[in-house]
Amino acid sequence: MADLLDLCRTAIAGARDGEQAEAYAEETRQTMVRARDREVDSFSSSESRGVGVRVLFDGRLGYAWAADPEPAEAAELLEAARDNAAFATPDEANGLPQAAEADPIPGLFREVQADLGPDRKVSLALDLERVTTEADPSVRRVEEAIYGDAVSRIAVASTPGLAAEYAGTDCWCMVLALAEQDGETQTGHAFRVGREIDELDWEEAAREAAERGARMLGAIKPKTERLPVILDPWAASSFLGVLAGSLSAEEVQKGRSLLADRVGEEVGSSLISLVDDGRLTEGPAAAPFDDEGVPTARTVLVERGVLRSFLHNTETARRGGAASTGNARRSSYRGVPGVAPSNLLVEAGSASPEELLGRAGRSVYVQEVTGVHSGANPVSGEFSVGATGLRVEGGTLAEPLREMTVASTLLDMLTAVTAIGADLRFFPGGGAIGTPTLLVGEMTVAGR
Amino acid sequence: MLEESLVRDVLRAALASGGRYAEVFAEERRSTSLRLDDRRVEELSTGIDRGAGVRVVAGQTTAYAHSNRLDRDALLQAARAAAAAVSGGDPFTVLDFTRPEAEIVHRAEEVADGIPRDIKVAWVQEADDAARSYAGEVHQVGVSYGDSVQRLLIATSDGRWVEEERPRVRLIVSVVATRDAVRQTGFEGPAALGGAELLREHPPADIARRAATQAVTMLDGIPAPAGEMPVVIGPAGGGVLFHEACGHGLEADTMGKGASVYRGRRGERLGSPLVNGVDDATVPGGWGSFSFDDEGSPATRTELFREGELVGFLYDRYWSERDGESSTGNGRRQSYAHLPIPRMTNTSILPGAADPEAVVSDTPRGLYAKLLGGGQVNPATGEFVFGVTEAYLIEEGRITTPVRGANLVGNGIEILKAVDAVASDFDSRPGTCGKDGQGVPVGTGSPTLRIAGMTVGGTGG
Repeated sequence: MADLLDLCRTAIAGARDGEQAEAYAEETRQTMVRARDREVDSFSSSESRGVGVRVLFDGRLGYAWAADPEPAEAAELLEAARDNAAFATPDEANGLPQAAEADPIPGLFREVQADLGPDRKVSLALDLERVTTEADPSVRRVEEAIYGDAVSRIAVASTPGLAAEYAGTDCWCMVLALAEQDGETQTGHAFRVGREIDELDWEEAAREAAERGARMLGAIKPKTERLPVILDPWAASSFLGVLAGSLSAEEVQKGRSLLADRVGEEVGSSLISLVDDGRLTEGPAAAPFDDEGVPTARTVLVERGVLRSFLHNTETARRGGAASTGNARRSSYRGVPGVAPSNLLVEAGSASPEELLGRAGRSVYVQEVTGVHSGANPVSGEFSVGATGLRVEGGTLAEPLREMTVASTLLDMLTAVTAIGADLRFFPGGGAIGTPTLLVGEMTVAGR
Repeated sequence: MLEESLVRDVLRAALASGGRYAEVFAEERRSTSLRLDDRRVEELSTGIDRGAGVRVVAGQTTAYAHSNRLDRDALLQAARAAAAAVSGGDPFTVLDFTRPEAEIVHRAEEVADGIPRDIKVAWVQEADDAARSYAGEVHQVGVSYGDSVQRLLIATSDGRWVEEERPRVRLIVSVVATRDAVRQTGFEGPAALGGAELLREHPPADIARRAATQAVTMLDGIPAPAGEMPVVIGPAGGGVLFHEACGHGLEADTMGKGASVYRGRRGERLGSPLVNGVDDATVPGGWGSFSFDDEGSPATRTELFREGELVGFLYDRYWSERDGESSTGNGRRQSYAHLPIPRMTNTSILPGAADPEAVVSDTPRGLYAKLLGGGQVNPATGEFVFGVTEAYLIEEGRITTPVRGANLVGNGIEILKAVDAVASDFDSRPGTCGKDGQGVPVGTGSPTLRIAGMTVGGTGG
């Protein structure tokens, strides 16, 4: 098989004078093991690669891609992309970035993980299920217990002189515990991610999933009222994921961001700082350069409640007279880069979970929100989503609550944050989203 | 796509360490996508995806390996990787292939792949013009057009050989309308398993005007009420509700994992006698339709609820064998990179007898949810939630003020019981259903219907 970077070079070798060309290639080797009833339910493995070629001439952009092309087919992509460019509207903001050297990120690729055989992966999945079902008497089964990993390589070459590549390893585990009692079933979810299997705290995930399921047994539907809400890191990350679009300069320039024209203004509580950091080693989306080869960076988006900047790729930077923040992202080689966060996080505060419960008074602790993709409108900022959680009384978690909704707007919620936990955790979501527990002063919780 | 002798060798290699069943799923998908945004045709893109997955089932374990090469070496390597993950003393054979005739074939009348690109560019521009000229409040318009042809081959060790070609076309218009500081969105996205005839039935300008109407209408919206109230759901919307609230719990894997509230309840009258629900992969040109499912089983129509009684579940091959049932042809996968799992196709609540206008006029106070967005369900608890993209108050039996930011939350079985009116109209809409990280095209349909009481989540009083 051709070397990935060589394949990129081959793909753009036929570029003509007056045009810019870029080839992006990715290669992934993945494993996924699902355990059920103490046996391997499924074991999947895959190897895939693909190349996408972007051509620009006269400000017009064309794209063509193929799964695992031979060098000859990779070279044909350039012609196809050029043909496609003829139909695009000329745009002077279109252009490829200048080549720049990106510093490697230490620890991104772990040899030991890349060489790991299947046995360890299988036993982790089986152990994850077993420990989850032993963690609480009400949890006798899981809906899912999964171990997954990936070894990825990315390469980019362009006519402005870029030729760069990097590799990374990732592994993750997910467990969905089923807590059952008197004919009632509740679920508890936990997720962990790491660069190598020894970093994966799967035992903690097992206990957490069991606890989250078991404490929901006997849940009732609350009555509708406005009161303080504690969002646990997982629930909080769902909302931050919706806000992420508004922090993209592309959405700002196209009039789809609720944060447009608000740089320098207060958009949240002075406790809130939002940062995107593509170089954060512990962030799952860490990479030395973005999906068009621009070195990644740390960008402060909201500083103590004040909106400071937006995320850019090369195109939005040119259009907005700014510099790329290294946030060009593609969903895969099948598409041109848009703008998206890398590791987007709410900076952790200092409060322990107990302190947050104590400060909240009579409130609702939300451990999971659902329907965010349809119930939250990133353009208007309005949301109303399904939630499950527990009542908080006297500084402790009390009766479990189900079939409730929490509703507000994204900015009202950010503004109403009155305390932030120290427990920053990352979750997948258009890059990676990191959030600690947030105490929100008041939201509408609807039920009966 | 692949030689029979090669496929046979791959299946043999897959069963080398035992297993009762092996399968090759190979596909090639060519696609074109076109995106207009901010008045510019930003990008026209063409691509080719291909690959094959090899599955072996032994005991309780399924092993799967896939590659995006279709050559002999890659396929045999995938087969060996799958075989290495199982061990079973089951006897194995690869039977001679038979090629079943498709009972329903979904053909493109006007193959989109062959249409010149400038015509496709003209479609997205027509949509952009129509949306922008609809009202001064229209602030931004995005249009995306996509077509694809998926050619697939499924061959199994028990002798099934199926080939199918699935052409797809979709046009999506999204509109942002603004007035003062208020910003609202509208969305329309018809889609079909077929060809460009879709755009004769739904001209791009009409699609765009519908999206623009929605965005502009919602500018006048007041915050949605919060609390429990009667909800009338417009045509098609009830299908999304049925899909989320019930359909996922009827998928055999959900039940097999003990994660469904419907497990073991076939034959029980769980819903209102007005509820008749089906899953139907044979709907001509339906977004969720096919001739054969992604395991090579023929497309079928499966009754799920008959007058409120739970009568059917959705099975793929693996779970049907486990439960001693027959497959209902619901084994689907996003692509060669995924294992097939039980999935819905086109899921509908069937029309009833009531006059749709009377359903509203018989409702003194409540919510009229004209269009539902996506939703999500936890099948283990039956709890679901939906976004409502276009909704109005019902006051004194009349549809009045638009409301924003509403969602609906409830429990599948309780909602089925609470259906107290089903009208005679019907409509359906395309969507993408996500489960286990796999997105597949689905259709959802229903008449106008009413839920006697349902929790509406909003911020208003």
